[in-house]
Amino acid sequence: MRKALCMVLGLFIFFMASKSYSAEEYHLGVALSFTGTGALYSAEQMEGIQLAVDEINAKGGFLGNHKIKLFSVDTQTKPDVAVRVVKDLILRDKVKALIADYSSANAVAIKPIAKEYKVLHIAAMSNSENITKVNYSPYTFQVCPNSYMQAKASAIAIAKMAKEKGWKTYVTIASDYEWGRSTQAEAVKFLKELAPQLKLLKEFWPRLGETQFTSYITSIMALKPDFVYGSLASKDNVAWMEQAKAYGFFDKIPYPGSLISVTELMLEAKTLPRGIIGLTRAPFFAHLNNKMMVDFVNNYKAKYNKYPSDWAVMGYDAVYALKQGIEKAKTIDTEKVKDAMKGMTVELTRGKLKFREIDNQLRCSSYIGVVGDDPKYPFPIYKNIIEVKGEDSERPEKEIIEARKAEK
Amino acid sequence: MQRRTFIVFFLIVMAVVLPLVVKEFWVHIFSEILIHALFALSFNLIFGYMGQLSFGHAAYYGIGAYTTGLLMVKANLPLFVCLPISMITAGIAATILGYFCVRLRGIYFAILTMAFGQLVYYIIFQWYSFTGGDNGLQGINPPEILMKAQNYYYFVLVVFIIAGYILYRIGESPFGYTLRAIRDNAERTEFIGINVQRYMHMNFIIAGMFAGLAGALWGPFIRSVAPDLCNWHHSGIPVFMTILGGPFYFFGPLVGSIIYTFLMAIVTGYTEYWPLVSGTIIILVVLSLPSGFLGVADNVIKKLFVRGN
Amino acid sequence: MDLTFIFAQFLSGLTYGMVLFLVSAGLSLIFGVMNILNFAHATLWLMGAYFCYTFWNYLHQTLSIALWISIPLAGLVMALIGAFIEIVLIRRIYKRELYEQLLITYALTLILGDLIKIFWGVTDKLIERPEIIQKPVFIFGAPLDSYFIFVNLAGIFVAVALWCFLKFTRYGHIVKAAVYSREMVSALGIPIPKIYTMVFTLGIFIAGFAGGIQAPIGSVTLGMDMSIIIQAFCVVVIGGFGSLIGTFVGSLIVGEVYSFSILYWPDGAMVLIFVITAFILIVRPWGLFGTPTRM
Repeated sequence: MRKALCMVLGLFIFFMASKSYSAEEYHLGVALSFTGTGALYSAEQMEGIQLAVDEINAKGGFLGNHKIKLFSVDTQTKPDVAVRVVKDLILRDKVKALIADYSSANAVAIKPIAKEYKVLHIAAMSNSENITKVNYSPYTFQVCPNSYMQAKASAIAIAKMAKEKGWKTYVTIASDYEWGRSTQAEAVKFLKELAPQLKLLKEFWPRLGETQFTSYITSIMALKPDFVYGSLASKDNVAWMEQAKAYGFFDKIPYPGSLISVTELMLEAKTLPRGIIGLTRAPFFAHLNNKMMVDFVNNYKAKYNKYPSDWAVMGYDAVYALKQGIEKAKTIDTEKVKDAMKGMTVELTRGKLKFREIDNQLRCSSYIGVVGDDPKYPFPIYKNIIEVKGEDSERPEKEIIEARKAEK
Repeated sequence: MQRRTFIVFFLIVMAVVLPLVVKEFWVHIFSEILIHALFALSFNLIFGYMGQLSFGHAAYYGIGAYTTGLLMVKANLPLFVCLPISMITAGIAATILGYFCVRLRGIYFAILTMAFGQLVYYIIFQWYSFTGGDNGLQGINPPEILMKAQNYYYFVLVVFIIAGYILYRIGESPFGYTLRAIRDNAERTEFIGINVQRYMHMNFIIAGMFAGLAGALWGPFIRSVAPDLCNWHHSGIPVFMTILGGPFYFFGPLVGSIIYTFLMAIVTGYTEYWPLVSGTIIILVVLSLPSGFLGVADNVIKKLFVRGN
Repeated sequence: MDLTFIFAQFLSGLTYGMVLFLVSAGLSLIFGVMNILNFAHATLWLMGAYFCYTFWNYLHQTLSIALWISIPLAGLVMALIGAFIEIVLIRRIYKRELYEQLLITYALTLILGDLIKIFWGVTDKLIERPEIIQKPVFIFGAPLDSYFIFVNLAGIFVAVALWCFLKFTRYGHIVKAAVYSREMVSALGIPIPKIYTMVFTLGIFIAGFAGGIQAPIGSVTLGMDMSIIIQAFCVVVIGGFGSLIGTFVGSLIVGEVYSFSILYWPDGAMVLIFVITAFILIVRPWGLFGTPTRM
């Protein structure tokens, strides 16, 4: 009897002791452009990430016992700064995974570093196709629809409109940086296929962060195109629309398919021209039939007293994608997690989505709609939303294989 | 003389031994310190020795970095070959741009060097098809054995010691002393028959070449290059480091680099407002330490070792 | 390419030139009188823009002329800050070496830049335009953002006001004399330190006012100072330090070169401006309207 009691006591003490021995913390890094043109989006994404981390930690952390510790650094929208601060995150703060960045140039610079140090890298905002198409890294995952997908989605919508309205000529205005260039190039290519009757008159390339668009406005108006296709960085797009409005631009020339994210819908609520057809990446109001999205929106509103933008949604999704990867691998060991995440289907606010094996790109949708007011919200949303699914807008695997062969 | 050789020997021993005992993060910091110190040493040729302020020195640093980057990524040339080629391209740029700069003095020299610096920056930035523009170049990987932080550090150390020694000999040569004469009184130096502009030009080219060498080491270190390496913020870094350490001492730039880089590594761990902190430090140092930290150390040592009168 | 179009480009270049002039006027003045190249000038300009936003934000619910009041208010606040900076910091570096002066104003840029970040945050500030400037006007058929008329008027007003100040007032004469020779002014018993404080304050007032003017154009964002300070330097170099006419002409040149470059060689717009700047520095370092004795 006594021996049995001792054994039970011993087991009990052992059990209690191992419980109080806290499991290893999971260091999660966030490297975003908190200074520069992407400052606001980065701040919003951070909020989404923080909310996800708080929710998961409330339940004990990853796998119930690995509390997440967040480390965030500012890459200042500069690739060399990004590389340096990411190295700090990896070497000094010992992060196992990092979410980065706003700027595609930064994400592309960070990718090889993450690969070299065997750290998971989730891109949740920058979306240049080059992050996933070439230089494949098994450590890098993309939860944002990439520039190819977005360009194709908008081109599909525009081609339809061109046919209906009999458009013949157009002009492009694109921010002169990685994302602007790749998006514009893809869109022009698609438009040639889908609407061969269209003629591209001229290309305009204002620099990233351009604030004075007057010369461009007057130049374009002089050319009198049937429509203008824009690949301007969101903030620049706002400045452009503001200034062009003052010239009566949109009364004369349609401007369909430019990126107007939920952030702009909320910020520019009073001044954004209604009736414009825009494109975005992760609008919460497109998935209110999904419980995870509804809960997220409510919790986000409770914590931050506003509605979540695309960037917050994707930041939140990024953390939960990581969580499900860890649960599938049943460990926080990065090697096993990355293998688990490859080709995995995850349940996110935007639905049940799969990471494509060949490039770790999440098969997420692009959303096109007409800017219009809604009584439920203090800002305009997209009406008549067309959701172009990931599998309908992604680049065919064959082309990816060719592109990778070419770069060797 | 003896004291100096002892200090140098001690420094080298420390430089060799330290990386073996500290964490990898600090080894990266050490490499950064040496590369920036080389950059600042090259700058000091123009500033401390010749008395002119160049606010566009990062142009040559950037050209060196891009030369190595482009050669390694597009032509697959080994790093050891790229280093001297980078010195040559930076030297060529310094020859062309320096030709114009040395015709000016004082603030006009400073502004022209800054204008040229921005010119180089914009050319690299806009020439997207060749340089990758604002994306920069990625995938600049040093040879296998140097991929490890410690090994790359020793490589940088060796290059630094050799380059530093060459720069030291240049500074102590008749050429170096002519530069000092030009710094102290250019007119008088002209009168004794020295072609001041030619000497200034030569010095500018040498300074540009060694800045290019520093840049060439930097690219493979962070595995990528970006146009920002050429902008005037980057040009300000060697200026600040040299002032911090002391422009009239050979080791000034090195001391400045050590202090600045350490400070930055530590402060950025606590706050995102590094510009605020570094700006305040710059003002304090400039106002109260005209000869930099080495100047202070010199005074302290003098006081310690000189007894009585 | 029809005339209306070229005229439209000319107008936008003119406006951009006016913006540059407003930024550069103070810079040129301060360097002309005190020989200090104020690296932080554009950052102070940006701070003026942020202050303008803050005042407008506070006032626009109750006052319809909120914007028009906020602009000069911004100038006044910046003048106070400018005076403070001069007394606390700039005063100490007049007799210092060139590199020390440059480093200190450069450090000031860093500090002020972060202060802006701390006080106003990282989000863009957008001022909603009052009714009157929401639609474009058409000049000979060429469209122009109606606010730009105000910008051009403001630029001309500042230019004329400064010119009158220098030509007709006693203080103006002292300032002009000081540009020429500090020693003589001092020898005449005029307290140079007070003059310096006044000039610096005036320069920063103009910068703050210019910032206020800029605020409704697009949005107010971090980093605007970095892109414009270099252009301001180019303007002052091309026009000539310390010369009001030079700064005015220099601004127009840069503005028009930039505007037309966008059409024909968009990639090279900034490159062209730097080439011109370098050319002037090499061939005529004191600028188009500066005086050689300043060298």
